Amino acid sequence: MNTYLPIEHCGETLWLLPDKAIYWPARRALLVADVHIGKAASYRALHQPVPRGTTAATLARLDALLNSHDCEQLIILGDFLHARAAHSPDTLASLQTWRKRHGTLKVVLVRGNHDRHAGDPPEALGIEVRDEPLLLEPFALQHEPLPHPSHPVLAGHVHPVYVLRGRARQRLRLPCFLIDVQVSLLPAFGEFTGGWLVEPSLGARVFVAGGGQVWALAG
Amino acid sequence: MPTSSDLANAWFSARSWKPFAFQRQVWAAVGRAESGLLHASTGAGKTYAVWLAALRAFATPATGRQPAALQVLWITPMRALAADTARALQTPLDELGLNWTVGVRSGDTGSAERARQARRLPSTLITTPESLTLLLTRAQAADDFASLRLVVVDEWHELLGNKRGVQLQLALARLRRWHPGLMTWGLSATLGNLPHALEVLLPGGGQLVKGRQDKQLVVDTLLPDAIERFPWAGHMGLKMLGQVAEELDASTSSLVFTNTRAQAELWYQALLDARPDWAGQIALHHASLARATRDWVEQSLKQGTLKAVICTSSLDLGVDFLPVERVLQIGSTKGIARLMQRAGRSGHAPGRRSRITLVPTHSLELVEAAAARAALAAGHIEARRSPRLCMDVLVQHLVSMALGSGFRPGELLEEVRSTWAFRDLRDNQWQWALDFVNHGGHALTAYPDYQRVEAHPDGLWRVASERLARRQRMGIGTIVSDASLQLKYWSKGGGGKHLGSVEEAFIARLRPGDTLVFGGRVLELVRVEGMTAYVRRSTARTAAVARWNGGRMPLSSELADALVEQLDAATHGRFLGPEMQAVRPLLALQSQWSALPTRSTLLAETLGSRQGSHLFLYPFAGRMANLGLANLIAWRVSRVQPLSVSIAVNDYGFELLSPRSVDWASCLPEALSGDNLLEDVLASLNAGEMALRRFREIAQIAGLVFGGYPAAQKSTRQIQASSGLFYEVFRKHDAGNLLLGQARDEVLSEELEIERLQRQLLKMQNLQLDLRALQRPGPLAFALLVEGMRETLSTEKLADRIARMVADLEKAANRR
Repeated sequence: MNTYLPIEHCGETLWLLPDKAIYWPARRALLVADVHIGKAASYRALHQPVPRGTTAATLARLDALLNSHDCEQLIILGDFLHARAAHSPDTLASLQTWRKRHGTLKVVLVRGNHDRHAGDPPEALGIEVRDEPLLLEPFALQHEPLPHPSHPVLAGHVHPVYVLRGRARQRLRLPCFLIDVQVSLLPAFGEFTGGWLVEPSLGARVFVAGGGQVWALAG
Repeated sequence: MPTSSDLANAWFSARSWKPFAFQRQVWAAVGRAESGLLHASTGAGKTYAVWLAALRAFATPATGRQPAALQVLWITPMRALAADTARALQTPLDELGLNWTVGVRSGDTGSAERARQARRLPSTLITTPESLTLLLTRAQAADDFASLRLVVVDEWHELLGNKRGVQLQLALARLRRWHPGLMTWGLSATLGNLPHALEVLLPGGGQLVKGRQDKQLVVDTLLPDAIERFPWAGHMGLKMLGQVAEELDASTSSLVFTNTRAQAELWYQALLDARPDWAGQIALHHASLARATRDWVEQSLKQGTLKAVICTSSLDLGVDFLPVERVLQIGSTKGIARLMQRAGRSGHAPGRRSRITLVPTHSLELVEAAAARAALAAGHIEARRSPRLCMDVLVQHLVSMALGSGFRPGELLEEVRSTWAFRDLRDNQWQWALDFVNHGGHALTAYPDYQRVEAHPDGLWRVASERLARRQRMGIGTIVSDASLQLKYWSKGGGGKHLGSVEEAFIARLRPGDTLVFGGRVLELVRVEGMTAYVRRSTARTAAVARWNGGRMPLSSELADALVEQLDAATHGRFLGPEMQAVRPLLALQSQWSALPTRSTLLAETLGSRQGSHLFLYPFAGRMANLGLANLIAWRVSRVQPLSVSIAVNDYGFELLSPRSVDWASCLPEALSGDNLLEDVLASLNAGEMALRRFREIAQIAGLVFGGYPAAQKSTRQIQASSGLFYEVFRKHDAGNLLLGQARDEVLSEELEIERLQRQLLKMQNLQLDLRALQRPGPLAFALLVEGMRETLSTEKLADRIARMVADLEKAANRR
């Protein structure tokens, strides 16, 4: 069971996906943020033993989403590559293979802070790289969660998580979408990423992802 | 000028002291080049027993100008003790006119002294296990230690039971390879298993010397005026403030021990509020205060200028505080050995009477006090056991030994196996450790680009890069602490006075302008910059008290058993001593609403509330083993129906709380079965959170998570990830990793005390289950209900849990 939750935001319908991405049917676009490809590799390069497999797992999840939704474009809201070490031959080779599987897909990367340090992905990957904001009416797509003067923002960077509390002192920490008038946040997509606890302001809508579903929380 | 063998006698008679028989025994043994372990209560004269033995055996009256080369290595568990030890060792040298030097090498040693030691080590070097390992990583280490004859391990009981002790075992093995006849003497307080303490220190054998134990020890209790019917967990005991102040008033100098730093801060503050005239006469001492502050407190104590010091275990060890007249202990001491150790702080000199006064923080601690006195009288003292096969310490040691001149695997294996902790190290475990430091693990392909230690064609293994070498040197040690920030006064154009350190997690909860209590002062947070929190003085009356996640000691089996004895006696109407008399009404209420636990029954209570279904069970196994039992029972019940429970534990028992209704009574008998214990505990670990917590520590020691350079540059940030993240990645992508295995094993042996759990379960088989349905929580249950620290175990589908919590939220929102 893998069910999406459609929401209305600024007159658009967005599907919040349990696998921490947004599908935008009107634009036939898949939106993800904070993929952090090559993070494990950069740890290893600095003598920290992290097992291999996180990059492959991340790409496999991306594959599954692209295959199950009618996508014309994939838009990455920053931090696609974690660090310079992501340019290692190994990592690039798996990226190349992944890209070949989706030859006709348009891939756009809005540069994030990690991308600036890591350097743009090689041209051979066929990824259109640009600085924020990327205006795609009615939204401004950004990495940094800063308000835009004229457009509501969809952004990444924060890796938002929310703590659910229930009866019998139950407590669960889950990645979340935060939908707000000015700035909305996507959860981090990458496998090997941590999370930042968010405290939603009044009026913000919180949706947690877990157990193969997306859940709307009572405001 | 006396001849060397008379040195000791001469020095003793010059001070009109007479050596004790055990001191002569040690002198004679060292004269015969024998090793051993000397145990005696604090203040019995252990230091001079070995130190004068060394001088008798090795020192010659001053001749040449050059002082003697390194002869004695003196290992101390705490940096704070080093300076005092140095002073104590120096005195006979001066008075006997011996040309020996005494030096200190620890994390606090300044660069000038380090440079001097780099040229030539002093005749006697006082150091910690961590600094010793660092000295062994120097390229010329073998030459440095060429003249070494004796290693003294002070306070061995403090090292024996932990990984620092394991690290020391490995360092001693290295020294013994260089000097096969090296003498080693351990100094220890009394333990329940001295032969083990001896064997771990000296796998090759040695003698056990019993020192003087004739100290008289008095344990009494400050009885509260009124007994609270509902004991409140986490209670700081401030109700007793007035009585404690009276006691302090009546004596010239006292130590007030607390169990946590936060409690020490609170008590200090409260005492000053109650007695403003004591400002300047009472002081605070705990491990997070700046070094200079602690030094001042220790000096003032010695000079007898302080009326009282509120302290934590930071003042448990060593340092001779002759003037201390009284010792008060706020809350439980958790064990008999610790009680003796703290009591020994008063009357710290041979032949003087020691007295400790217990101050209960809740009414049930009165029973503990009575129990402690009975256990002490019966001589039931706890044992400490060395950990075994710590792969994280081994991995760290391999990289350390690869610094400097490098190692040869064959030689190093022999050395490692000569230690007690690693004597059963299997070939495949050794190979795993070598592979791990070489390329990350047994699966060659799992860790591309990763390398820490390189095997060179000449057979030597050396560290791969200078950068890594620096990082390794910085990370040596097995004490794992939470990320901490330095606390400084704010002043324009630069930092002001350094106050100490606080945990990052605590500061993270505060915003600029919020107030906190630290070092006995109320402070206002100004800003946080990098790894420093700046504060200024505040006049606020209320403030958050800095909290540290110090280890919470479990109640020892010895004390727990003694406690059940007291309760058992109470059910038979016997209330011995003033404490039991005082607590009698509370115990009466417990037996009226439910029952008292006894030697032959196991008390279980059930309760339904708006929160859900509660089960309370009282195995009296100490908080660690209770946690293990709680997980085990929750897991077994969950096989009948999927379950999410919140678990609260204390030293007496535990609570399981489920949001769904559970028929605990019918599940219990089967859940308490002794069958498949290990498998079920392992399975319960996967559903709970304990293995993850343990992995945190292991990851840091093994170098997986790097604490960061002092004044870390931003660039190191990108290699910092939380150990929780590492844990998940390892579990998913390299499940066979031995460090994960170790995390699991350590949860079993240390967190859950699996052997104790096993014994407990066996014991519980023979107890009669006394099942009571509560109308309302009784005194024992209440203590658990209000326990703030909770763990979770869940076997429900994640989606089901979320659905319920989302519905709970919905209901709450509708009520608004």
